[in-house]
Amino acid sequence: MKFDTVIIGGGLAGYTAAKTLIERGLRCAVITEGLSLKDVPLRSLPCSLFVGDRVLSADVEDGRVLALHTLRLEDEPLEADNYILATGKFFSKGLLVDMDRIYEPIFGLDLDADQDRAKWFSTDFCADQLFLHFGVKNYGGGRVALDGVMLKNLFAAGELLSDISGIEEDADDRIRKSAAEAAANIR
Amino acid sequence: MQEKNISAHNFEQCQKCAICTTVCPILANNELYPGPKQAGPDGERYRLKNPIFYQDTLKYCLNCKRCEVACPSGVEIGDIIQSAKLEMGKRHHVLRDTMLASTDLMGSVATPIAPLVNATLALKPVKAVMDAVIGVHKGRTLPKYSHVTFEKWFRKNAAAAQEGFRHKVSYFHGCYANYNYPQLGKDFVSVMNALGYGVELLEGEKCCGVAMISAGMLKQARKNAAHNIGVFSKAVAKGNKVLTVSTSCTLTIRDEYPHLLGVDNSEVRDNIQLVEKFLYQQLSSGRIKLVWKEGYKAKAAYHAPCHQEKLGWANFTIELLRMIPGLELTVLDSHCCGIAGTYGFKKENYEVSQKVGKPLFDNIAAVNPDFVACECETCKWQIEMSSGYEVKNPVSILAEALDLEATAKANI
Repeated sequence: MKFDTVIIGGGLAGYTAAKTLIERGLRCAVITEGLSLKDVPLRSLPCSLFVGDRVLSADVEDGRVLALHTLRLEDEPLEADNYILATGKFFSKGLLVDMDRIYEPIFGLDLDADQDRAKWFSTDFCADQLFLHFGVKNYGGGRVALDGVMLKNLFAAGELLSDISGIEEDADDRIRKSAAEAAANIR
Repeated sequence: MQEKNISAHNFEQCQKCAICTTVCPILANNELYPGPKQAGPDGERYRLKNPIFYQDTLKYCLNCKRCEVACPSGVEIGDIIQSAKLEMGKRHHVLRDTMLASTDLMGSVATPIAPLVNATLALKPVKAVMDAVIGVHKGRTLPKYSHVTFEKWFRKNAAAAQEGFRHKVSYFHGCYANYNYPQLGKDFVSVMNALGYGVELLEGEKCCGVAMISAGMLKQARKNAAHNIGVFSKAVAKGNKVLTVSTSCTLTIRDEYPHLLGVDNSEVRDNIQLVEKFLYQQLSSGRIKLVWKEGYKAKAAYHAPCHQEKLGWANFTIELLRMIPGLELTVLDSHCCGIAGTYGFKKENYEVSQKVGKPLFDNIAAVNPDFVACECETCKWQIEMSSGYEVKNPVSILAEALDLEATAKANI
């Protein structure tokens, strides 16, 4: 299926980005593994919703995302001119953790994250935990890179970015702002 | 230690976020039901220790799978509940549940004397007796049986003509098209033939078993599943896709067989598809062409059945219907209609079933369409009875909106 923009993640960031783009007249799709804990009226968006589905892999060539392959659509890829990745951090599996590494599972995007496990957390329970500030490296406006190469049509938004931590007081405002910035990259 | 933590249905992925409780249609309407989180992963922790913790209230789960669709962690909550029911649940209304679930048997008995059965089952005193004696609610309009089954019609009127087609598909018609509403099967054959596909019946399909699973008839459901996998394998070996028209049959065959019945379907699963997905993909790759009737005009409201939400294929149907030039389509808010197969027929569930569906019926009334489009036969019964609007399977809508002759010429 072809769209102008496919948004991966139906939380606050994905919802805000989709709403912005739909209002600009773009044909959007939102694919999300589940519904968000944040109060976002995802189901009211006038676009194609793929709720309960998951992106398994992506075709990337010459710095461009060509298609997404999903669990439920199987042999039918999702294609778009642009993509927004808004999958959040650890809870929503936007970031995955093994014993010895942290990674973004769909594209393997470049992260701001110390790969040394000993530095992920502080034993002082009340301290500001370092892992909460890990995330996809933001090159400005949600631009992201893969193995050091900037991607032309994929933008990240929301908590997935290293510069936004969901537990901060103004987190929701910053998530919305990052979604608007990512959407603004799409012409 | 890790090994001991491996349990079925992604159980351990539950992060206790409780989003599932916000989408459960029963929790909001039946205070006796503990909800998907408690009935599912929370209760499972105890049941794994000792089945004595099994709660009989799990019977109120209608297996709509909306909890699974909402779960951000991929926990198969509905499967956890259904598995516990199948393993540990007591069967209460054995006669009624067996009758409701044995669609093949009841259909074979009823179709030869369909006019008599239909007239009798519509009588108020008969309904009152059924209510009192076996526990089928008297308020429920019972599905009508057809006098001639689809299979019989097909063999007599359509089978011979299928030989002439180079490309073939196998058709899993299901019990509903066979015993209750053969017109759906006829529409399927007309549409596929116009698109250049010959239709073949499977070599003796049986009921998918969805109702047996919910009635706790594990042995019979497994038997049907194993039999069906055998006939699917034969069709797939010939190079055919197996196409279906019912979302619940499809979900059962593709997902419930391995998840709940432990029947391996990996050899055939990818080749079993709803016809809407198949047609959308053939169209977008340019392998088929559609020619629409001139002057076709209708206003439709699309209701995605719960099991369509779980399959994740609603957008194929929506996109297909949007191609019809004269069709004004509204996509209804995603909401369970309340019937859940045989669930809403049961006396103890009737009122809750109607309460669950009310927002959907109100939504339909507000749109006021000519008809509702929906791929599920039991949703059709519920919506027609409760809202008064006619419900059509998308295949039947295509059969009406297509210029079948011109389409056939365009697909030679």
